[in-house]
Amino acid sequence: MALKLPTKHTGRERWAAAAVGVSLALLPVATPLPLGSALAPAAVAQTNKPVLRIGAIPDQKPEKLNRLYGLVANELSKQLGVPVKYVPVTNYEAAVSAFRTGNLDLVWFGGLTGVQARLQKPGAKVLAQRDIDASFQSIFIANTRSGIAPGNSQKVLTQLRGKRFTFGSQSSTSGRLMPEYFLAQAGVKPSQFAGGAPGFSGSHDATIALVQSGAYDAGAVNEQVWKSSLHDGKANRAKVVAIWKTPGYPDYHWIAQPNLDQRFGAGFTTKVQRAILSWRPSNPEQKAILSLFGAQQFTGAKASDYSRIEQVGRQIGKIR
Amino acid sequence: MKPAAPLLVLLPALVLLPVLLLAPGQVHGGGWELIGTFLEAALQPSLDPLVLRSLLQGLGITAGMALLGWACSVVIGVSLGIASSRLVWRSLSGSELPADLLRRLLAIPRSIHELIWGLLLLQLVGLQPAVAVLAIAIPYGALVARVVSDLLDALPDQNLKALLLSGTAAPAALLTALGPPLLPGLISYGGYRLECALRSATLLGVFGLGGLGNELLLTLQSLEFRELWSGLWLLLAVMLALEAVIRRLRQRWGMPSRFGLGEGASGQRGRELLLALLALLPVLLLVAQALQVNPMALLDWQPLPPMDTQHWQAALALPWLPLVLNTLLLTLVAAALAVGGAPLLLLCVAPWPWGRQALKLLWALGRLWPPPLTALLLLFVFKPGVLTAAMALGFHNLGILGRLLLEGAEVSGEAIEQALLCGGCGARIALLYGRYSALARSYIAYGAYRTDVILRETVVVGLVAGTGLGSQLTESLSSFAFDQLLLLLGAYAVLTLLGEDLSDRARHRLLQQ
Repeated sequence: MALKLPTKHTGRERWAAAAVGVSLALLPVATPLPLGSALAPAAVAQTNKPVLRIGAIPDQKPEKLNRLYGLVANELSKQLGVPVKYVPVTNYEAAVSAFRTGNLDLVWFGGLTGVQARLQKPGAKVLAQRDIDASFQSIFIANTRSGIAPGNSQKVLTQLRGKRFTFGSQSSTSGRLMPEYFLAQAGVKPSQFAGGAPGFSGSHDATIALVQSGAYDAGAVNEQVWKSSLHDGKANRAKVVAIWKTPGYPDYHWIAQPNLDQRFGAGFTTKVQRAILSWRPSNPEQKAILSLFGAQQFTGAKASDYSRIEQVGRQIGKIR
Repeated sequence: MKPAAPLLVLLPALVLLPVLLLAPGQVHGGGWELIGTFLEAALQPSLDPLVLRSLLQGLGITAGMALLGWACSVVIGVSLGIASSRLVWRSLSGSELPADLLRRLLAIPRSIHELIWGLLLLQLVGLQPAVAVLAIAIPYGALVARVVSDLLDALPDQNLKALLLSGTAAPAALLTALGPPLLPGLISYGGYRLECALRSATLLGVFGLGGLGNELLLTLQSLEFRELWSGLWLLLAVMLALEAVIRRLRQRWGMPSRFGLGEGASGQRGRELLLALLALLPVLLLVAQALQVNPMALLDWQPLPPMDTQHWQAALALPWLPLVLNTLLLTLVAAALAVGGAPLLLLCVAPWPWGRQALKLLWALGRLWPPPLTALLLLFVFKPGVLTAAMALGFHNLGILGRLLLEGAEVSGEAIEQALLCGGCGARIALLYGRYSALARSYIAYGAYRTDVILRETVVVGLVAGTGLGSQLTESLSSFAFDQLLLLLGAYAVLTLLGEDLSDRARHRLLQQ
């Protein structure tokens, strides 16, 4: 085509053709280099020194997540003698899926997400829970203008029919699963809320803010967050009150991949469990971790502790 | 009965009547304090070095992902766009059927939101940074393909016919006749997609790497407004800078130069474009390397999660009719608010010079705030419901369409507007009949594409109760109910196809006028 053009253009055309030619020549040179170098170290690292990848369901502000799991990674690395890396995930479902596909080795799950993860990855091991997780509780809260009266009996919940109601995150055990279960026990179906469905605020903090503002008449949150909101003044008692506290149920726990022993050497899973259980407030680093977790120490846990969560999950349709 | 062109642009704004009538009934007004806290936090964002460092890191990741996803989507989009152009197929083989088929097929990847693509791909290839790139590239590629094929099919075809009749081979004739006139539209739209990619990458967060989206979402959920604003200001700076650069480049390369096309002017533009593309290649490779995006990892498929087949009955028994109707209502109200709101607001402030600046600021905020944030802010004052969700989506898209409208107004109808002004018309009438009539059709066409996007975006405002398919989709995802998920994605695809069919017909009628 260049030949047909008038002569005054040929210089420019040649210039462009040269540029294209050079670029085509450079392309194969440029491509394998970065790709090759990106691939090689990863492959080497995988065969030589396996990295323990830890994760967590994202239920805190990012700054706290990064600080907490950075500390956990350091502490585990020190105690286990292997490199440990914290891998952030974007949401609860991504945490469960990444555990199933084997991209996370050790994950801090909630009650429901933990059971979902174990069912999707047979052989996964429950390692530990916090002292407060054996009997975790949820609080139903209501806006003071909604006219919902607090009480000690589960019957309080029947007042929620026809009210605007919000849960926290869809996969949250304390902000959704167990509250929905206790509502069902009291004879309140999700379709009976105003608008025909509950809202999902996405987090405990958002639930408290939305109920306090009056967007929703009532909601359900985990006790730990409720207490700290009252403590730091985020929740205003004149506008939002607790109306009923649920009985206890098991919640958060550490779960490990089934193949850690093969990858890191015999007995590694037990070593990880012992390390987590050994954390005490007397050690400054471990104290920082424990206080960020809101616990005194971790205790051993087993899969059967969570059979009640599984049962409730099946009943509500979150586990199939 | 055809409305005059300038009025066509304002027609969607009629939705404001019912919205303004119904909105006061939805106000609960209990959260002004929280809105106050949110706005106050804008003035005193967190300057904690830990927070800033992590935000900057996240910004780098997000910007890199946006760039990679955008580059892939443009390559995919342009190739598929040419392959699904009716004009191209008619010239090559005499039949339009393959083009129509491909166009319909492309509605499927387009109907699924980036966020959902990310989670679906995660099931298949595991936690890989490459997943985020692909999650943007797939729906964007399909959208670019639609726009490119529409642009191609709307080009005047006299030159092509002349070349074909004179015996030129079809491929050469297509390239010569359609290539140059396609380029300005392509450059303009391609640049706009990069802005969209940045917004998407922000909403998406990046699998296994975090990113600014992660930080924003988590600070939002924990109501840490000061930390949220640190991220938002950073994002605003990057967004405005990117928009300014793209605008400059578009003006340089895409617009017909108004001052004498002297010797060298046309060739220079092509050369610069080529050089920029060449420079982009190593940049893309470096970014990919830095973010550990490894295309090879995409081939390493994981076993799929267990699928159970016993629950089909339950999945079919979902309340499909209200779900679909709510979704349609939400999409249409949000789209009408955005499409009609932009020209109406611009018209309202036309007499005052500062009005336009204030609008620009408002629209920048609309683009900046991810829809879940706007939804949360609205919930502080409004009761949950379709209207609140529609306002949240509408505000975000108003920001995007408003900018497109201003951009379009820059290049068309200036002479007519000046003439009207000099003739003694008021500023509003001059704007309406001068500018709007010239760009009405292309603006409404963009509005139709945007409606497509809004339909997909209904999945991100699930925080507002009962918004239809979107809420149900996030619920099914969190239950890992793949049977429900399949049906829901099918419903989205059908709605997208119907929307495309309707807007295609409307555009044909408009073009024939």
